[in-house]
Amino acid sequence: MKLVKSRLFVNSGKLAPYIFISPFIISFLVFGLYPMGYSITMSFWKWTAGGPQEFRGFDNFVKLLTSDPYFKLSLWNSFVLMIFGSGLQHLFAIPLAIILDDKSIKGRDFFKLTFFLPYITSVVSIVLIFSQLYDENYGWLNYIIVNVLGQDKVRWVTESVPIKTSISIMLNWQFIGWNTLIYLAGLQSIDESLYEAAEIDGATKIQQVFSITLPLLKPVIFFTLTLSIIGGFQIFEQPFVLLGGYEKMGGPGNAGLTSAFYLMATGFSYGRYGKASAIAWLMFIVVIVMNILHKKIVHSDE
Amino acid sequence: MKKNIFLLILVVSVNLLIYGNGTNEKSTSIPPIDMSKNYEITIGTWGQDVADAYNEALMKSDFTGKFPNIKVKFMVSDFSSHHTRAITTIAAGEATNEIEMLEVAQIAKFIEGGGLQPLDVEPFNGFDAGSELVEFAMVNASSKNGRLVAYPVDIAPAVLFYRKSLVDAAGVSLENLQSWDEFINIGMKLTKDLDGDGVIDQYAIPHAVEVSSVPLNGGMSGWFTKDGVPLEPKSKFMEALNLVKAVRDAGIDADLGTWSPPWLQSFGDGTIVATINGAWFGGALETYIAPETKGDWRVTYIPNNSAASMGGSYMSIPIAVPNDKKAAAWEVIKYLCTSEAAQLNSFRKLSSFPVLTTLYDNPVMDEKVEFFGGQKVRQIYSQVASKMPADPVSEYDPIARAIFGNYTTMVLVDDMPTTEAYSSALSEIIAVAD
Repeated sequence: MKLVKSRLFVNSGKLAPYIFISPFIISFLVFGLYPMGYSITMSFWKWTAGGPQEFRGFDNFVKLLTSDPYFKLSLWNSFVLMIFGSGLQHLFAIPLAIILDDKSIKGRDFFKLTFFLPYITSVVSIVLIFSQLYDENYGWLNYIIVNVLGQDKVRWVTESVPIKTSISIMLNWQFIGWNTLIYLAGLQSIDESLYEAAEIDGATKIQQVFSITLPLLKPVIFFTLTLSIIGGFQIFEQPFVLLGGYEKMGGPGNAGLTSAFYLMATGFSYGRYGKASAIAWLMFIVVIVMNILHKKIVHSDE
Repeated sequence: MKKNIFLLILVVSVNLLIYGNGTNEKSTSIPPIDMSKNYEITIGTWGQDVADAYNEALMKSDFTGKFPNIKVKFMVSDFSSHHTRAITTIAAGEATNEIEMLEVAQIAKFIEGGGLQPLDVEPFNGFDAGSELVEFAMVNASSKNGRLVAYPVDIAPAVLFYRKSLVDAAGVSLENLQSWDEFINIGMKLTKDLDGDGVIDQYAIPHAVEVSSVPLNGGMSGWFTKDGVPLEPKSKFMEALNLVKAVRDAGIDADLGTWSPPWLQSFGDGTIVATINGAWFGGALETYIAPETKGDWRVTYIPNNSAASMGGSYMSIPIAVPNDKKAAAWEVIKYLCTSEAAQLNSFRKLSSFPVLTTLYDNPVMDEKVEFFGGQKVRQIYSQVASKMPADPVSEYDPIARAIFGNYTTMVLVDDMPTTEAYSSALSEIIAVAD
């Protein structure tokens, strides 16, 4: 009887949809849901390189929020880098996209490619090049600052403020092109007739930007800023490579210790996997809250 | 969405049930090697040169003749990837290789709490088999309750490397220095503006931090007392901080980050006269850092005849390896770590200094080394190795090392008073090490 039912199920074509979605479902269960569940489990334990040691309940979370001196600092560092590293990009990307959208500009494709190149370059390569630029004694930047501008050399990677500046410069350089292309795609969906009508009404280019372009680009700005908030809290490779790996803990004053960096160091350098999982889930909550706030601000006038 | 949340809760619940007993250790009943059975043992390691050297040793007849039933394979990746893979796999209670090589700095993570097969129990009896291995290396792999979690395969006694031509040109000597003050005074004579353009071209050493690591035994142990108190005795850590400040204030270090391109270049172009490092560094100088300086480098004792460890490697068996393969894996480890043939082979091929103390009197230690102008440098290495301090190792060492290292940098770049650096580091280590 069961066999007959199974055959009917197969022959009726009801099985086909399940087979078609099974690659995703299986991948999601194995590589998505299971690791998430595993990390929640780990976050309730003292879980070291030797495996689970003792059940701690919410202790890992409580300690991170109360007594751990690095977690709050790392959140602050991530927030600062999110503003000046991830957020600042948009102030460059939007004008660049508007300029590139002007069909009278020659070599638009060349500029698009040039701006996009840093995005597809390996982060490690970028950081290695920037670390030579930033080298305190032999770097080009300090050579110009000292020999051309006559100023004192800057300790780009050994002092607190310059560390954040140097990471922000790198992030801006790397991601401005990516955001420019996203905005460019958004601009191309704006109806040309709106600009023609504005011109007939005597609106200047600047007035057109503020009255037509930016309001209609708002959904794209919301999308890219959301990505920037998420990306801002995932900054890891840049400070990790630039500041000398886990052992340096983000450099003097832990100025480059982002939340993702602290998570990775806690897990993979100090062998505290339970605590690292707790950091990951706290970061998840912070990113969710930031995005809810962002959505409320952007849509406050609707 | 509701289904996903339900599945997530299900996964968490199942995991909590699985790990409810708080341990992933398996039964300790380990059968001895069965000579009628064939074994395939995989060693996870970093660097193809390391794998080649060990493979060559394991092909020797004294191993193949005794264990024809053991076939050894290697899983090789770069240093960082190897450790990330090995450690995360072990932490998850799994095993991808029967043997995992671990760099000395990683061992502390496994000292308490399992993950690795204790090697002091039957059928390994690691302490007995390792009675000829250098003591400090065995202590560094032992837990408070006497568990031996890994086996040392090489060590790196710290010595002072220097370029003879540059030292002679300054009319000084770096031999038999009795104190760090004497070293700093000579360092000031070695630090020079050679072309008179107002910019220093030649420094005594690459970075002040390498000097401060000597009182801390290279930073691989001694961060906590046996009772778990961090940064004691205070005098040892204050000495490190004061020393790093004195070196920087004297202006004798070039402030070159380790492994940066200028650092690598400095050993060949004459920017650096001397450096403190482990014995392995001699091999690195000879093969790829500054082979063109052959004959000019010399080796001597660190000032005050201090002994410190600056590197080393261990072999371990993850606890999740099937019990019936552990004895065979142990035979491989035992051969590579305790046989003179294998240890000498690694020494010649990799410049990895032996852990086997019986080799310290071997004629190979009296051989002249051409790269060092015919100096018998191995005698110095073995003398330092024989007296290296056996400080306790704690699972929190990596955290303490990172925090203290960070405050050492702040003494250097932010002029933070050394007493403040010590107390701040202490309070943060106490807060984080839980």
